[in-house]
Amino acid sequence: MTEATVPNSSVSRVPRVGRQHPQKILLTVLLTVLAVLVAVAFILPGVWMLLGSLRPGNEVIESVSPLGWHTLFPTSWTLDNYNALFGELRFGRSMLNSLLVAFASVVLGLAISVPAAYAVSVLRFPGREAVFTVLVVGFMIPFEAIAIPLAQVFTDWHLNNSYLGLILPGIGNGLAIFNLRQSFRGVPRSLREAAFIDGASELRIMTEIYVPLSVTTLINSALLIFLAQWSSYLWPLLMISDEQRQVAPIAIARTYTDTGVNFGQMFGGTLLISVVPALLLLVGQRFFARSIATSGER
Amino acid sequence: MKLSARLRLTATCAATVLVVTACGAGGSDEQNAASGSWSVPQQDPTATLNVVGILDPKADGMDTVVAAFEKEHPTIKVNYQQVPFDNLNSVLDSRITSKTGDPDVFWADQPRVPALAKRGYLQDLTAQFSGLTSGLQEATVKNSSYEGKLWSLPIANSTQVLFYNKDLLAKAGVQGPSMDPNQRITWQQLKTDAQTVQQKGGASTGLLFGQPNRYYQLEPLPVSAGGGIGAAGEGNLAPAVNNDGWVRAMTYYGSLYADKVSPRGIAAEQIDSTFLAGNTAYLVEGNWMVGKLADSKLNWGAALDPVWEGGKPATPNGSWSVGMNPFSKNKDAAAVFMKWLAIDGESGYAKYRSYAELPANAAGLKSYLGSKAFTGSEGGKQAAEVVNYETQNTPVGRVPTVGYIEFEDIIGRAFSDIANGVDPKTALDSAQNQLSTAWQQYK
Amino acid sequence: MLFLAPALLAIGLLRIVPFAGAAWSTLYKRVGIGLLAEQRFAGLSNYITLLRDPLFRGTLIRTVVFNLILNPVQIALAMGVAVLMTRVIPLRGLWRTAVFIPCTIPLVGSSIAWGIALRGDGPINGILQALGFGPQPFFTSPHQALASIMLVASWVGIGYWMLFLIGGLNDVNGELYEAAGIDGAKTWRIFWHITLPMMKRPLLFVLVADTVANFVLFIPVQLLTNGGPQESTTLLMFDAYRRTYNYSQPNLGATSTLILTLIMLVIVAIQFRLLNDED
Repeated sequence: MTEATVPNSSVSRVPRVGRQHPQKILLTVLLTVLAVLVAVAFILPGVWMLLGSLRPGNEVIESVSPLGWHTLFPTSWTLDNYNALFGELRFGRSMLNSLLVAFASVVLGLAISVPAAYAVSVLRFPGREAVFTVLVVGFMIPFEAIAIPLAQVFTDWHLNNSYLGLILPGIGNGLAIFNLRQSFRGVPRSLREAAFIDGASELRIMTEIYVPLSVTTLINSALLIFLAQWSSYLWPLLMISDEQRQVAPIAIARTYTDTGVNFGQMFGGTLLISVVPALLLLVGQRFFARSIATSGER
Repeated sequence: MKLSARLRLTATCAATVLVVTACGAGGSDEQNAASGSWSVPQQDPTATLNVVGILDPKADGMDTVVAAFEKEHPTIKVNYQQVPFDNLNSVLDSRITSKTGDPDVFWADQPRVPALAKRGYLQDLTAQFSGLTSGLQEATVKNSSYEGKLWSLPIANSTQVLFYNKDLLAKAGVQGPSMDPNQRITWQQLKTDAQTVQQKGGASTGLLFGQPNRYYQLEPLPVSAGGGIGAAGEGNLAPAVNNDGWVRAMTYYGSLYADKVSPRGIAAEQIDSTFLAGNTAYLVEGNWMVGKLADSKLNWGAALDPVWEGGKPATPNGSWSVGMNPFSKNKDAAAVFMKWLAIDGESGYAKYRSYAELPANAAGLKSYLGSKAFTGSEGGKQAAEVVNYETQNTPVGRVPTVGYIEFEDIIGRAFSDIANGVDPKTALDSAQNQLSTAWQQYK
Repeated sequence: MLFLAPALLAIGLLRIVPFAGAAWSTLYKRVGIGLLAEQRFAGLSNYITLLRDPLFRGTLIRTVVFNLILNPVQIALAMGVAVLMTRVIPLRGLWRTAVFIPCTIPLVGSSIAWGIALRGDGPINGILQALGFGPQPFFTSPHQALASIMLVASWVGIGYWMLFLIGGLNDVNGELYEAAGIDGAKTWRIFWHITLPMMKRPLLFVLVADTVANFVLFIPVQLLTNGGPQESTTLLMFDAYRRTYNYSQPNLGATSTLILTLIMLVIVAIQFRLLNDED
């Protein structure tokens, strides 16, 4: 991303190299410091949870007050919490279930969202805005309002205790469709018209023009669907009674009882849950380059 | 009764949302087990039971319990499933109202028994079990009954103990509270002592409650001050939380926070650890704290619960029971299991979990008090004495009413506001009004 | 059309139809409890009951105000962070991930962590005291509790929205800056006159999505304040939940939810009006 204050054009301009350099460096340093501060502010509680998961269960709260280094840094380090999570508390299996459900939801979800977004943003037909409204209203319905009646229906159809039962409600994500629609709107119409002239079908236009130009948005929508499924709690609670199929957010409940909470274990489980989406993002950074390459029309 | 609510994520009450969408409810009427006759059989039937509980099969030892049962009763197989305790109610609602009979047996929180019974979620056990409960502590049987009928079998109980940090008290020159029932420390004296320990003993906190702002924990205050349990009249549906006794009790409670004897804003699940950190003088907490203290390096002591000056002693009690699904298709087998769990011997539940919890079973109680945590230190022995005495002499059950969940929620918020500085009379008056409105539907 | 069918089916059957059922139930009153209850048609009486209740009216106003303040603030902050994270600075991807991580942590865990952090004797007060300020009551004060909830929600949400805005910023064609002839022009003017208008589409998305997220905000309220102190953090979603599950009044709870959804729809419709670009 170019620095906005310094244009690249070299039209009748004497580059004042001597003056630009230190100014630019200073700015970069300042911005970097700011970015680091912001990053630290956001991640500090997470770091505290991480370090908390590496100390014995009691210590997390015991060390909160008074404030000191020991609040953040453990006095005694231990992997007991993670041992317990993957051993006695069977967390590994729950994470695998979560992964399966989330990935399947992303694949299926994108498969139905991309065409739908294409239809409401690029195609023209009567009632298009009405259809779009329906899709958008869909995600504004608080899930708690419909969870129990929906669970009843799924149980009647014997979808309870099944992966399919967990995946299905996650694939129709109006927010993902909305996101894709916004991105598709930004693609110049001329590209589509040119492709028509070449005799391409709507499907080809969609997959060979719009999708490649919206890689960032696709990734964001995938992340949307992923996170929604990855963090869902109420639905798996109602659907799954067989522990072999249960997902990670519910498995966290194994770290506490009605008389005690093992904060070390709870933080450990919580962070394990957050590691996957965080890693996905870190890896996906490379796709956040500019997604509109120089258009093919020049 | 222990920690709840704080980590509550969904329903905490017998939700009737399902009735709203009853069109989806499976089961047909032939499965309606209104009067199917069943008994505690002489000979074991062959059956598979579905059981829903709040304990982890491995970490909390329920697998061991189930294995022991299946060994003694080989023709009955048990499928045990854990549900997080704060979601138990929504899961039960969803499954019981579907009338499929799954689960056959489930954990039921004793104070919710009236609400569950009234909604038709529990099988009436009176005819089959009322003659068999002599081995159980009377207070727990009372908690598991409603309107003269037995609706569930208690498997666990609870009581509270006054714990204190010996080192801090010694440093401040304060004598530990008494173990003599005739010389119980009063709440008022406790506050004064706590302040002394704060000033002279270096304690940053004077007094902690195991579950701040919860009715389970605070009920003894108004009861001991003469204000009653919070409701009266037929079915306990006339709220009574703003009388003199309640206002006096709550003025005291609010003053603890205003005078910085107790700290504001610490969530219930953090209290135990805060006491274990060693800067707190006194803690009123349940019997389960003994195990945590035994594992810690704290120099601790235990004493009888405080009483209101001039009032009668009162202590919280109650915990979990097991109930039977009225639509269960295996009631005989369920009866065998429930009897084994709660009544037989020292209670299968207590014995095969190595007495991890205060049993409702009287014989089991003795074994519980004989475990290492209680015998291994002076504090432990004191605690054992206290638990033994209080469970038999001073327990006060929570208000048995159909509208219990509303009550707990509304009064809990009033307690919280009082702790945060609101005038007690105002807060209690507001709670009184909200309760009247909320309980309209039950009249 | 085939393109639309699967999505419409999924959303229609799994969201709209159940919601229509819930909406229909708001016209009924439940008589009796548990398995013996029956539903009786009651027209709009549930709505009247709610709107007559001063506590509910207070909740309604509180929720709207909460959102009117929080949404623009969150989006502005997210935009600021997004702009910062699209400058040419070393290890940019790392800082972005750090800001994003809070939204990957389950909200329950985050809420519990912040509950501890904002304790009277907790680390945040510790830092404040080290800087010379007095300790703050945060969740125990009716004046600060709602703001504290906003803090938690923002900590979680900003990273999420930042991501979408970065995508939008990257799409703004760099050549536009040249074409506009901005030799030596002030950065702010460029931002205001070129970047922002080009960001209309991602901004609309983020604004709408953030509105919905904040309207249905629930878990921090339940875990940290239970609606208090003195009802100061009782928002509509929490009110609906409480009516349904604690007060056994699911019809009223559904009514509360419907009112919430209607308000959301109105606000989102206004946002569309302002930011939707014509085809």
